[in-house]
Amino acid sequence: MRKPDLPLQYRLMVPLAVVLLAVMAYPLVFSAWISLHDYRLTRLADVQFRGWDNYLGLIENQQFWTAITNTMTFVVGAVSMEFVLGFALALLLHRVRRFQNFYRAILLSPMFITPIAVGLMFRFLLNIQLGVVPHYLNKIGIHVDWFGVDLALFSLMLIDTWQWTPFMLLMLLAGLESLPKAPFEAARVDGASAWLIFRRITLPMMRPVILVALIIRGLDAFKVFEYVYAITRGGPGDSTETILFHIYKVGFRFFRMGEAASMAYVLIVITLIIVTTLYWSMNRR
Amino acid sequence: MEYFQSLRTRTGNLFLESLLVVALVIVLFPFMWIFVTSLKPPDLVAVPNVWIFEISGVNWRSVLLESNIPQNIFNSLIVGIVTVVIALAVGCPAAYSFSRFKSTAATRFSILAAEMMPPAIMILPIFLLLYQLSLIDTLWGVILAHLTFVIPVVTWFLIGFFDEVPRELEDQAMIDGCTHFQAFYKVILPVVRPGLAAAAIFGFVLSWNDMFYALILTGGESKTLPVAIAGFWTFRGVEMGKMAVAILIAIVPVLIVSFFVQKHLVRGLGGGAVKF
Repeated sequence: MRKPDLPLQYRLMVPLAVVLLAVMAYPLVFSAWISLHDYRLTRLADVQFRGWDNYLGLIENQQFWTAITNTMTFVVGAVSMEFVLGFALALLLHRVRRFQNFYRAILLSPMFITPIAVGLMFRFLLNIQLGVVPHYLNKIGIHVDWFGVDLALFSLMLIDTWQWTPFMLLMLLAGLESLPKAPFEAARVDGASAWLIFRRITLPMMRPVILVALIIRGLDAFKVFEYVYAITRGGPGDSTETILFHIYKVGFRFFRMGEAASMAYVLIVITLIIVTTLYWSMNRR
Repeated sequence: MEYFQSLRTRTGNLFLESLLVVALVIVLFPFMWIFVTSLKPPDLVAVPNVWIFEISGVNWRSVLLESNIPQNIFNSLIVGIVTVVIALAVGCPAAYSFSRFKSTAATRFSILAAEMMPPAIMILPIFLLLYQLSLIDTLWGVILAHLTFVIPVVTWFLIGFFDEVPRELEDQAMIDGCTHFQAFYKVILPVVRPGLAAAAIFGFVLSWNDMFYALILTGGESKTLPVAIAGFWTFRGVEMGKMAVAILIAIVPVLIVSFFVQKHLVRGLGGGAVKF
């Protein structure tokens, strides 16, 4: 029998490698190329090489930095709320055994539905004229414009929290259920308080799961687009202009694709820095 | 003493359960409100404090019979199914290889990294490529774009499932005279069928839910469901009722399906790299 010229290990990977090269490597390289040119969809015949100019231009581009700041605020705010709420709910579900599957199935449901539907749902619910929430808040004397200048970004964070706390819950609950029982029993026998057990045993043992959950959710939150598109389109002013929405605008509304590509690459670098820092700081201890 | 203690834990548990019920209400209220809205007659849709009204099928009828939504549903189905079939075909053998042969954490994580790529970086070249090929506003473009995130997720998912199949299974098959590939194909694949189904469903949901790529790459007849939904918001109350119907059409099937894959989800997301 003739020996195959490539070990099975690699032959099995060939289809994946070919398709990923086609759909991912090519776009990555092409984007890099675009980012070094003055590439406008309206002037495809006249594409000029610009070197690092697109990148250097970003340093003084106020709108770009506003979008970055908005996105950072959004990610930190939304992910912290999701983490705290998700952890609390996971601890609750872990304790309450009755109807556990029922509770879990319902509580997880928001994470499966399309974000554009979530955005429109809450735009409708929170709308100052037609919305049911402001209507009843008015009755008890609270008058807020959820999508006004002051609150719009925060409202988007709340919406993100509604949809993605379930993801935190899912990961953290799985983490809790796989912890060994022995340390907890020993601590309880020694008379440790619930808080002490949580601080000294649960948290340290959960660190790897927490890390993965935070990284996945954080990176995903960076891509926030649908809520902005559905509700505020970046406004009022530029208070909710997030980075992906800004890139969409520059690339596909103004057709300045070179500039948009350079922003996308800066975005990759920023995300990489954040992930590495997070990973490093949580693994250090 | 014991009586008091059990009373304490029982009231304690009741308190905890009531917190869960609050969370349940917060999760369910938006769904319920949208459902109620979809049944309101058009002139009441924009009135928030009406709870009792004559149920009307006008919104449902006009969306299902007089709009483009059925076409959009069909588009989303086609895109999702084709994307998932391709993703499984290329992801499944690779996932097996990752799971069975020596692969470092780095190679495994490169799969995850591929999924984390910001769509902003992919969309420009994909758009330009399709533009040159005159494939803008066709479903092919969306399928191509969706492959960029569905393939990594499906592969990542399957690694975890293959990890759990004991190696003895294919060792035995190979002793019985199968080649390694035959052992994979005839023995291991049938064993991980539930995992394949879960990965397929999850990949499909991701494709079904995407709006960013579809918004840029489709238009007119080729719009997928999320893009069509996004077009519903206007300040006329009449449209609100239709929007509610369209939203329900997009989310209800996914919610039903999700109940079946929930228990596989953690294993899949862990991807074999994180042991829970």
